[in-house]
Amino acid sequence: MYSWIWRHLPGSRAVKLLEALLLVAAVVALLMLVAFPWVEPRLPFNEVTAG
Amino acid sequence: MSHVQSPVRGSPPSRGRRDPVRTTARGMGELLLTAGLVVLLFVFYEAYVTDWTSAQKQHQATAKLDDTWRNGRGLVERPVHGAGIAKMYIPAFGPDFVFTVLQGTDQDVLAVGPGHYEGTAGPGQLGNFGVAGHRVGKGSPFNSLDLLASCDAIVVETADHWYVYRVLPLQGESDGWAAGKGTQPQCRGVAPLPGHYANVVGKTIVLPNQVDVIAPVPGQPGRAPVNRLITLTTCNPQFSARERLIVHGVLVASYRKADGKRPVELTAGA
Repeated sequence: MYSWIWRHLPGSRAVKLLEALLLVAAVVALLMLVAFPWVEPRLPFNEVTAG
Repeated sequence: MSHVQSPVRGSPPSRGRRDPVRTTARGMGELLLTAGLVVLLFVFYEAYVTDWTSAQKQHQATAKLDDTWRNGRGLVERPVHGAGIAKMYIPAFGPDFVFTVLQGTDQDVLAVGPGHYEGTAGPGQLGNFGVAGHRVGKGSPFNSLDLLASCDAIVVETADHWYVYRVLPLQGESDGWAAGKGTQPQCRGVAPLPGHYANVVGKTIVLPNQVDVIAPVPGQPGRAPVNRLITLTTCNPQFSARERLIVHGVLVASYRKADGKRPVELTAGA
């Protein structure tokens, strides 16, 4: 999977590295800003109320 | 598979890539590693990122409450859901421990700060002022609730009053209270409560469905209250929703803010 992505990134090695870092940052941002806030209320960790 | 087992030096990596078994195995491994990293990232999100976003929301709620008080609009009979109603100080957690308590206990409200159970008594009123708060993440206002000792002060500031509650004697402390811990200066006004309150102790752990801890008389829903209590609830153990940690306190003093004095109880140890 990761080697496949690496092979399909265009440009020189340095450019590929930059692109890979951008990809990672984008995925982390997507998780933090969209996925986690969505999934969190559906998990039972945060129930602090009685009843 | 012989080329996998015997170290053939200089064999081009492209040969391995074409092996479907190897490709699948590697793909699975990478997926599992990624899933593990995502879970770790989620823990980081829960414990830290929600703190940052909640700190900002709490700050805004506090600013709004201050503004309301300044304009003399703080004395409403029925607070709006989600609006700040009071500030809570727990000096045992440090002089900077202050949170704006909001009306309501749903997730959106609790993401801003501790929430007042709608339908329970207000600050200082007869009955039971019930407040829920997060233990981990979202500013974790009630992170250290388990560390509270009997007689620790919980000070609540409203538009016009300071209310000083103190944690009730803990389980096992009631016997010999008057001659024992009850003699300490910070315990003035704190004693095991008589009558229907006999089973109400400073700290308990209950199951999540035990809603009667926030009843006017804790544990006895429907009974008319004769005391002014505060009840804090949070999840227990940390990072779990299996149980609820409950702290009960009793009102020992109240001051009108018009007198312009800050309660001495705000100083830790007092």
